Amino acid sequence: MSNRQLKISVFRYNPNLPDDKPRMQEYQLEEQQGMTLFVALNKIREELDPSLMFDFVCRAAICGSCAMMINGKPRLACKTLTKDLPSEITLMPLPVFKLVGDLAVDTGTWFRDLQVRTEAWVHTDKEFDSQALEDRMDNETALAIYEPERCIECGCCVASCVTANIREDFIGAAGINRVARFMVDPRDKRSDAQYFEVVGNEDGTFGCVGLMACDDSCPIQVPLESQLAWVRRKMALAGLKL
Amino acid sequence: MESAKTLQKALIRANPKTDLYVDLAEAATGISLVAFLWIHMLFVGTILFGKQIFDLLAESLDKYYLAHIGIPAVIVIFLVHIFVAGRRAPWRLSDMQTTWRHARMIAHTDTWIWVGQVVTALIIVIMGSIHVWSVMYEWPITAAKSALRVDSGYLWFYVLLLLAGEYHAGFGLYRICVKWGLISNRRTAGWVLKVITVAIVAIGLGALYMFKKFGGAL
Ligand code: HEM
Ligand code: SF4
Ligand code: SF4
Ligand code: FES
Repeated sequence: MSNRQLKISVFRYNPNLPDDKPRMQEYQLEEQQGMTLFVALNKIREELDPSLMFDFVCRAAICGSCAMMINGKPRLACKTLTKDLPSEITLMPLPVFKLVGDLAVDTGTWFRDLQVRTEAWVHTDKEFDSQALEDRMDNETALAIYEPERCIECGCCVASCVTANIREDFIGAAGINRVARFMVDPRDKRSDAQYFEVVGNEDGTFGCVGLMACDDSCPIQVPLESQLAWVRRKMALAGLKL
Repeated sequence: MESAKTLQKALIRANPKTDLYVDLAEAATGISLVAFLWIHMLFVGTILFGKQIFDLLAESLDKYYLAHIGIPAVIVIFLVHIFVAGRRAPWRLSDMQTTWRHARMIAHTDTWIWVGQVVTALIIVIMGSIHVWSVMYEWPITAAKSALRVDSGYLWFYVLLLLAGEYHAGFGLYRICVKWGLISNRRTAGWVLKVITVAIVAIGLGALYMFKKFGGAL
């Protein structure tokens, strides 16, 4: 049986070149068994076009750097098998994030800004003692922290969200989920009022319209639907009590 | 959030609860309008049991001043809803372009449903206002007058308003359930609300059929 010929149409644009204009460029290559888009793109770069820009690190759905719009849907390229796609494939960079060039975007700056704005660290006045045993935590709490903590910051949820696409300051599902992680952590001593100050506004939980594209797009199934609703309810109650 | 960097942000932060109140007002006006719309359709649906029952209901709503309190209240809630829910719609041209392109690109059902909600909102603003005006202009409500209205070319107007209104209300309530997590699973919520919406649309179409029939016989 002969292998499929893939037609991969890629968004090309380098914002650092003054004369460059956005365009689509098509590459043809033969599909191979078990081929992921990670493999396909590297083949293109090695054999057809060394100038093509895209990001990869772990190729195992862990680092979150290879997210792109694959036939219109935000997905991890390293986790997407070409055999699950039609033979014509369109690749675009993630929207919302700063364009580095072609398929590469800078999610790092965006997520860094998010950590600062949401103060995504454990707030405690307890002196850290490197010799002491860690405080015990019951399994249920540990799991409730672990679930949102699984987020690999790929940006798929942010890219899929209409609100994030049109409201620059919106922290998106990844941001709201990040705050939820600290809310359930007993080591974080912030009060509800302090959390309200962080996410109880239009840039945070009350800016979400509830379209759930985020929930449908997360490649590792962080339960964003229930996280978003939980934070919204919690922040509404906290706000009414203020 | 990070410390306010501009005067405008600082002033907005000085009143941190505004965003919460507006969000609650959006849900509250939305739920009230859905409740009104569904009850309204059940009332209109009494025409299926005959003109006498319809007229009796219309008369008693008038006699006990329910209409006199209810109609202004609904108009006020309607106006508030336009302000607080309407703010979410993409009004800037560039936002409209982004929304449209993005919805087409990700081909995501719930995102399209929301675009539909913005479009039906515009239909409701215009047609709903015409509807309220024309009914109030010929107050009081009777089956005969309604039948004449439906028969005199208003039929398609009402079919479109019914479909737009029920779509907007059904999916609006769905979105509230999802946003606030009122029903554990959004597929269940969607399913329940679709069944209710289809039932209400059926009642509405049945009522329009009856009015058309009575109107033709007048
Ligand atoms: C029969 C009348 C109406 C009913 C029953 C109704 C009901 C609802 C409900 C339940 C929601 C969901 C609210 C939420 O998510 O918190 C909603 C959203 C919305 N409504 Fe209405 N509405 C009506 C008329 C209108 C009108 C006249 C406008 C005109 C501007 C409008 C604009 C919107 C918009 C833009 C949304 C989307 C907001 C969002 O997704 O957050 N609605 N509506
Ligand atoms: S539910 Fe919708 S608006 Fe809210 S974060 Fe997810 S995609 Fe964005
Ligand atoms: S929540 Fe999911 S989709 Fe969003 S950034 Fe984290 S891993 Fe990616
Ligand atoms: S390369 Fe790390 S997630 Fe795809």
